[in-house]
Amino acid sequence: MTSTIAGRTRKVRRGYGRVALAFLAPAIVVLVLVRLVPAASALYGSLTRSSLLTGDTRFVGWENYAELLGNPDFRGAVGVTVLFTLIINPLQVAIAFALAVLFTRRLAGVRWWRSLVILPIAVPPAVSAVVWNVIYRPDDGLANAVLSVLGLPPQPFLTSPDQALAAIIVLLSWVGVGYWMLFLIAGINDVPGELYEAAALDGAGPWRKFFHITLPMCRRPLAFVLVADTVSNLLVFAPVQMLTGGGPEGSTNLLMYDIYTRAYTLGDLGRAQAEVVVLVLLTVVIVAAQFRMLRGDSEGA
Amino acid sequence: MIPRTPHARVVAVAAAVTSGALALAACSSAPETPSTGEATPSTINLLGPEDPATFAPLIEGFEGSHEGYSVEYTQVPFDQLNSTLQQRLGAEDSTIDVYTVDQPRVAQLAAQGYLVDLTDLADEAQEVMSPTMYDVNVIDEQMWAASIWDSTQLMFYNVDALAAAGVEPPSSDPSERWTWEQTVAAAEQVQAAGETEWGLILEQIEYYYQLQPLMASLGGGSGITGEDALTPDITNDAWVEAMTWYGDLFADGLAPRGVGSFETSPIFADGESAFFVGGPWDVGVFSESETNWAVAPMPYFDGGEQVTPTGSWSWGINPASQNQAAALLFLEYATLNPEGNLLSTEATTIIPANAEAAAAYLPQLEELAGDRSAGVADLITYELENTALARPLTVGYVQFEEVMNTAFADIRNGSDPAERLAEATTQLEDAWSQLR
Amino acid sequence: MSRRRTRLPLTILAAAVGILCAIPLLWVLTNSLRPGAETFGTISPLSWETFLTLTPNVDNYAALAGTSLGRGILNSIIVSVATVAVGLVICAMAAFALAALPFRGRSAVFSVIVLSFLIPFDAIAIPLADVFRTWNLQNTFTGLILPGLGNGMAVFLLRQFFLAVPEDLAEAARLDGLGWWGIFSRIYAPLARPAMIGAALMLFLFQWQAYVWPLLIGTDSEHILGPVALANMQGQFSVDYGLMFAGAVVLIAVPLVIILTLQRYFIQSVTTSGLK
Repeated sequence: MTSTIAGRTRKVRRGYGRVALAFLAPAIVVLVLVRLVPAASALYGSLTRSSLLTGDTRFVGWENYAELLGNPDFRGAVGVTVLFTLIINPLQVAIAFALAVLFTRRLAGVRWWRSLVILPIAVPPAVSAVVWNVIYRPDDGLANAVLSVLGLPPQPFLTSPDQALAAIIVLLSWVGVGYWMLFLIAGINDVPGELYEAAALDGAGPWRKFFHITLPMCRRPLAFVLVADTVSNLLVFAPVQMLTGGGPEGSTNLLMYDIYTRAYTLGDLGRAQAEVVVLVLLTVVIVAAQFRMLRGDSEGA
Repeated sequence: MIPRTPHARVVAVAAAVTSGALALAACSSAPETPSTGEATPSTINLLGPEDPATFAPLIEGFEGSHEGYSVEYTQVPFDQLNSTLQQRLGAEDSTIDVYTVDQPRVAQLAAQGYLVDLTDLADEAQEVMSPTMYDVNVIDEQMWAASIWDSTQLMFYNVDALAAAGVEPPSSDPSERWTWEQTVAAAEQVQAAGETEWGLILEQIEYYYQLQPLMASLGGGSGITGEDALTPDITNDAWVEAMTWYGDLFADGLAPRGVGSFETSPIFADGESAFFVGGPWDVGVFSESETNWAVAPMPYFDGGEQVTPTGSWSWGINPASQNQAAALLFLEYATLNPEGNLLSTEATTIIPANAEAAAAYLPQLEELAGDRSAGVADLITYELENTALARPLTVGYVQFEEVMNTAFADIRNGSDPAERLAEATTQLEDAWSQLR
Repeated sequence: MSRRRTRLPLTILAAAVGILCAIPLLWVLTNSLRPGAETFGTISPLSWETFLTLTPNVDNYAALAGTSLGRGILNSIIVSVATVAVGLVICAMAAFALAALPFRGRSAVFSVIVLSFLIPFDAIAIPLADVFRTWNLQNTFTGLILPGLGNGMAVFLLRQFFLAVPEDLAEAARLDGLGWWGIFSRIYAPLARPAMIGAALMLFLFQWQAYVWPLLIGTDSEHILGPVALANMQGQFSVDYGLMFAGAVVLIAVPLVIILTLQRYFIQSVTTSGLK
């Protein structure tokens, strides 16, 4: 990329450095202040232990980490989080992309239907949790009312360890898919129309156009959506807190919820901060893998 | 609505106070009790989870009788109260003068040094409050907060549904208190007759506040034992038996799954449950429903002890407050002064902690729902005096409540009680190891 | 030919997906027009009355007047708009530097920015709240706005779009004597308008949905935010779904209007806007 400029002399490059610094400074100051400094404080905190009662803090080294690794609830949370990540991200990105393709076709009333899909973005997490709590109620909920109209047996949803995580994934997809779809529609609309016209002249069908034009041309927005979606899903905790409290039997105990409970409810800050560090490392590994996977020739991704 | 993380509006038994808790409390450097004599007219910041309308009459009364003083109230959402307090008190936030204290958390807050010693008020408090309402705030003869409200539980039943199913209704007389066995049988009969969808619903369906009496009635204790009140005891036979009974309520279809604590009252209000065990606030909530209901005492297990939940909020003073003398003046007015304490319940339905205020309040409560709430005042008075069982007083209550409420939720959804309680024991040991 | 054959089924599919997404919100809207006690009465068995009401009443909305929701929404708008206005400039400048200016350590800076949005803010906010309190930022709009200004994800998004801007454009502008600020503000920013709107949406939603931070830093009655005010509306001993849903509808309406207005510009292709 940027080969022309990058090929300049060292002297000019230093000049760019100063300009770049000026452009970067405000963002760096804010990010360092409100993200990295507290994060560093969490990193240090993860090596200490404070007595909730006396307030005494002592340095304990890796003890918090060692205890976490031996803790079945924590190990369960890591397992649930990995499973959740592996399912929800490909699912949401695929659906969002499919919807983006669908809603960029010339269809009757397409702008209206698209707006309806976007609606849930505006719903605050607390409100969507209340609504879906009612939808999922096993006895008088909307979902089972719909199932019974279709002649299907009622489902336990959030009250079953086998279904609760799937139910949370559906809720989050309701909120998230329309949001990510917007970014992908922007990407699809950016594909030059001549490419499709040329392909049409070659007699390419819609599938070939999709796989040979749309998909490769949308690699950059797709990369962004995949990474951004993954990160935001790893930070989910409000629906879990409001709908399942991590249960039944730990089946929805996502790491971020475990951290939130440990820090804010149990007051076990040392180990909560160790968990934050683990979560960030996990996120870095997943995102790095995604970057590598997507690198190919799209140097930006 | 939703996220009612463990909270609690109940008490702790002074008898359970242990030397461990005391020692911890003693090492915190609590400032001395301020004196109201030093108070100068100023603005007092009050923080709590209630709707601002609740305290409007109280604040007006205080400002009217204390010239130059004013009270600024800040509401924090109910489900976030305890965590918000932990953070802000921990940071010595001086914008809080008086704050709401969940009574079972007095021990921890005092041990952390987040409460001003109010022992100078102890004699007066003892005089105007019931022993339970006094004891909840006292650790090692030091008083750390003052009770503002009290609570109990009553059993509401659907009069018409019971009659239609041919079930003889329970009496409101505590000497004829029903057993749980009797209640379940009657509930099943009403359900079988197709009169109501559900048989028996406990309002705080997953919370320790309401479930503690089940275990206690069978002699299972509070679940906490040991010198320092930091040893779990939740796998004894009584606990397993009570929890099995509890799990069966849902497995057998007497009560619904998937409806959270405090989301249950609309079901009874809609006439869809034969029995409903709830708080005095439900007298107000149900007075607006069209269901014909009446009250009876909360049941107990056959051959077991008769116990009911109790407790609510206390108010305490923030040691970081720059305005402690005035804060104390307001706290005294709201709790110890019967007039002020009564004003605190003018816009809500909960029992004032001050005995004189309660005596004036209960007849009003009884009138709230006309004939339907007949007998409420006597019943509440009886329960508070005779069967009220406070929650355990331990510095580890926060962790206990969180772990237990999660376990209750799992058992409700079908987990094996004995196994789940064993798991909770491990979780408690782990969480409490961090306190020491 | 094939296009005509597939158009009808695709239209039906698009409509079905749209309606399915909207149903939960229609249900919220309908129940905000009913007394709270009737919320569950109409669910089972399913009928048209589950989703519509012939006897709407606005009592719930009237009852909102007695709550702090109005103030909360106004404050949320102030905080969100200020965050977008300032944050967008900050983020776009950083993205520009990372996309258009080669300098030593660029990939390191980019990594730091990526890392900054991998850190769960809600989980690390406790020490930050202490710092802010020592700076007397509790109960101030500054304290509420600051954490939203730097959004690593928005920088990432903008950088992705800026990378797509042909370098020749910048080169040519340089030769014409345009400074870096001019290249940024006159060429890159307008060209990446869809991404700018996307980033603005991110910054906006971060603040509009903020809940944990406002509680940590303190929200008195003058600085209360919408979500906190909504949570405050739940009664302690009972839930009035009618009132809560009315509050939710009001709280949803503001971002909805903004999103629906902006989406047209957001998804508008750079090509059709004639800038490329």
